[in-house]
Amino acid sequence: MIFFGCLLVLVLVAQIAELFIPALPWLYNAHVYIVPVIVFYGAMALPFPLMLALAFFAGVLLDALTVQVIGGKVEISAGSSILLYGVLAGIMHGLRPLFARGRWEVHCILSGVFTSLIVLAQYLMITFRRGSLVFTPEIWWQIGGPGLIAMAIAPIFFWGLQWLGQMTAYSYGPAGGRAE
Amino acid sequence: MRHGGQSAITMSRTSLISLLIFGAILGYFLTFGPETTQKFKSGVYGLLAPFLTGGSGIKKQITSVRSGLKSLDQLERENAALQVENRELRATNQGLRNVEHEVNRLRHALNYRERSVFKLVAAEVIARDSSAWWRTVTINRGKRDAVETDMPVVTDVGLVGKTTTVSDTISVVLLISDENCRVAVSIEGSREQGIVSGERVTGGLTPFLDLNFLSKQADLKPGQKVYTSGVGGVFPSGLLIGSVKTFHVRELDGQAQLTPAVDLSHLEDVFVVTGRR
Repeated sequence: MIFFGCLLVLVLVAQIAELFIPALPWLYNAHVYIVPVIVFYGAMALPFPLMLALAFFAGVLLDALTVQVIGGKVEISAGSSILLYGVLAGIMHGLRPLFARGRWEVHCILSGVFTSLIVLAQYLMITFRRGSLVFTPEIWWQIGGPGLIAMAIAPIFFWGLQWLGQMTAYSYGPAGGRAE
Repeated sequence: MRHGGQSAITMSRTSLISLLIFGAILGYFLTFGPETTQKFKSGVYGLLAPFLTGGSGIKKQITSVRSGLKSLDQLERENAALQVENRELRATNQGLRNVEHEVNRLRHALNYRERSVFKLVAAEVIARDSSAWWRTVTINRGKRDAVETDMPVVTDVGLVGKTTTVSDTISVVLLISDENCRVAVSIEGSREQGIVSGERVTGGLTPFLDLNFLSKQADLKPGQKVYTSGVGGVFPSGLLIGSVKTFHVRELDGQAQLTPAVDLSHLEDVFVVTGRR
């Protein structure tokens, strides 16, 4: 449970840190998303119920910080991020045996792909409300850029989180998860 | 074997129960209406307020250290031949210049507040939007400072946006560069009126604004100033929004692109308009 608690704290810190990390002007103002990388690591390292709890926590934070109520209308329903994180973390959880065998590259790539999927899903939802479905190169970069960044930082974060797991004496097997 | 089988059944049962709980809570969240969502957002922002304010302070310190190092580096390059004392004096000077800049900035803001016809609440931008699809900033003023939802936010230069989510101590400001922030405007030297809104995505550092619903004969010229018209009730009339960059005629109407008067990418101090004097 210590490791799970650490992941919750890290998600909170990362979510707040994201507010202070400026968008990257050289990548069409793409944003840096750290939280998905932590959640997807947790999806592999934690047992199913705790994975869901982590996805829920991250989803609540993302919903609270991104959902906009303008003119009495909600653009993206509260809960949509919880659903997104839940589904994507569930898929990642299914690939857990591969991770336990030391195959990290698939998960690093998937972390990037899933991060982009979250941004794409948000874009599709706001487009559904606002109308005019457009996909300019800038929009593709806004969607793909965060994924590429997540892919690039995932190995460092995975390594750091694995080290944290060892420090907190957290252990898990390929078939089932067992905290401490 | 039986023990192992039982364990597997227990595991899947635990997973199933947790999945059901997850689904139930998710379903509860999905039923939130606008008011409940606003309250939920406001509540979470209230909880995060100390972290956001603290984070803003840390960021300022980091930026200050970074800019300090940059000027030292410049000094090293420019004054390689100078002695150590000289370098120290220049560094001190640089520090004083930073203070002077801050004093000037605050004095400027204070002057604006005193001469303004509006009741203004001074606020500091503590965080920017973390999402790709919304243009918002967070300010360090909330309900305790008489800030409410849908209040205009300005600088001494012009309009910045309006408040959306307001917690006790912090508020979210939707910038005019957001596609959802629509402002009724009039154009200097013209009878034309239109609606300004932001663009969905901006590739460059400076966002541009779209001025829609103009007549085809509007024929706006670059540099013409655009002000709020006061229609709609949220924004008072006469606030500068920006100036015309380009104008083109579409099939049914005319559209102009505006350069915002306020540099929205470098906001530091803003004012919330809480009423008229």
